[in-house]
Amino acid sequence: MLDLDMTPYAAFVWPAWGVSALVLIVLTVRAVVASRKWKRELARLEATESETNGAQVARSAVAPTNNGLRP
Amino acid sequence: MFGLSNPQRFMAFTGPLTPVLWGLAAVLLGVGAWLSFTVPADYQQGDTVRIMFVHVPAATLGLGAYAALGVSSFFALVFRHALADAAARAAALPGAAFTALALFTGSLWGQPMWGTWWVWDARLTSVLVLFLFYLGYMALRASIDDEQKAGRAAAVLGLVGLINLPIVKFSVDWWNTLHQPASFLTPGSSGLDPVYLPPFLTMLAAYGVLFLALWLTAIRTEIRRRRVMTLRARLAQEA
Repeated sequence: MLDLDMTPYAAFVWPAWGVSALVLIVLTVRAVVASRKWKRELARLEATESETNGAQVARSAVAPTNNGLRP
Repeated sequence: MFGLSNPQRFMAFTGPLTPVLWGLAAVLLGVGAWLSFTVPADYQQGDTVRIMFVHVPAATLGLGAYAALGVSSFFALVFRHALADAAARAAALPGAAFTALALFTGSLWGQPMWGTWWVWDARLTSVLVLFLFYLGYMALRASIDDEQKAGRAAAVLGLVGLINLPIVKFSVDWWNTLHQPASFLTPGSSGLDPVYLPPFLTMLAAYGVLFLALWLTAIRTEIRRRRVMTLRARLAQEA
C-alpha cells in the first residue's frame, strides 16, 4: 500500500527524494545532450573530411602527378 | 575484457549496451521508488527510514565512482592509455554528484535523528574530503590547457585520493562516530530489517546501473570529442 504521508518528517523526506531525483535527471539530460552534440559534430566533420579526400582523389585522377607510370 | 581497451571495439561493444542500461536504470528506479513508499515506517526512525533508500546508494556510488576514477587514473598514468584517461574523466562528474547527494541526504536524515545537520565526525568528514577530491580533480583538469598534461596531473591526484576510500569505509570502525556502523551484510550487526531489503537492494541496483549508463555514455562522448578535436586540427592544417 502506497504511503505518501510523511508526517511529521515530510520536511526531511521529500527534499531528500526531490533533490535526488532532480540531480539524477540533470545528470541524465546533460549526458544525453553532450552525447548527441559530439555525435552530430563528428558526423559533420567526417563528411567534410571525406569530401575533401574525395576532391583530392578526383584532382589526382584528372591531372595525375608524375608517379612513374606515365609514358 | 582487455580487447575493450581499443576505442573502436569499445564503441562497438557499448553502442548497443548503453540504451539497455538506460532502460534498466529507469525501470529499477521506478520500481525502487514504488517499493520505498510501500514499506512500513520504522518503529524508531519513523518515515525518515525512507531517506536511507536514496542516501546509502548515493554514498555507495560516490565511493564506487571514485574507485573507477582511481583505477582508470592508474592505467592512464602507467600505460598512458587514452581510453583509461577518458574513463577517469568520465567518472568524475557523476561521482561528485553522487557524493554531494550522499552529504545532502545524510544531513536531512541527521537532523531529525541526531538533532544536528552536520557533525565533524570521521565518516562525514572523510566523505566531505572525498567530495573535495572530486572537485580538485575536475578543477585541475580544467585549469591546464594542454590536455595530456592535464590528464597526467589529474591522474596523480586521482591516485592520491584512493587513500581516502578505506578511510571512508572503515572510519566508523576505527573511530567513535555519530554515524552508525555498517548494518548491511555485516556479521554480528543487528542488520537491516528484512522488510526494507527489497526497496534498499532495488535502489542500490538502480543507482549502480544508472552510474554505468552515465559513465559509458560519458566515455563514448569523450572518445567522440577527442576525434572531433583531431579532425578539426587536421582539416585546419589542410585548409
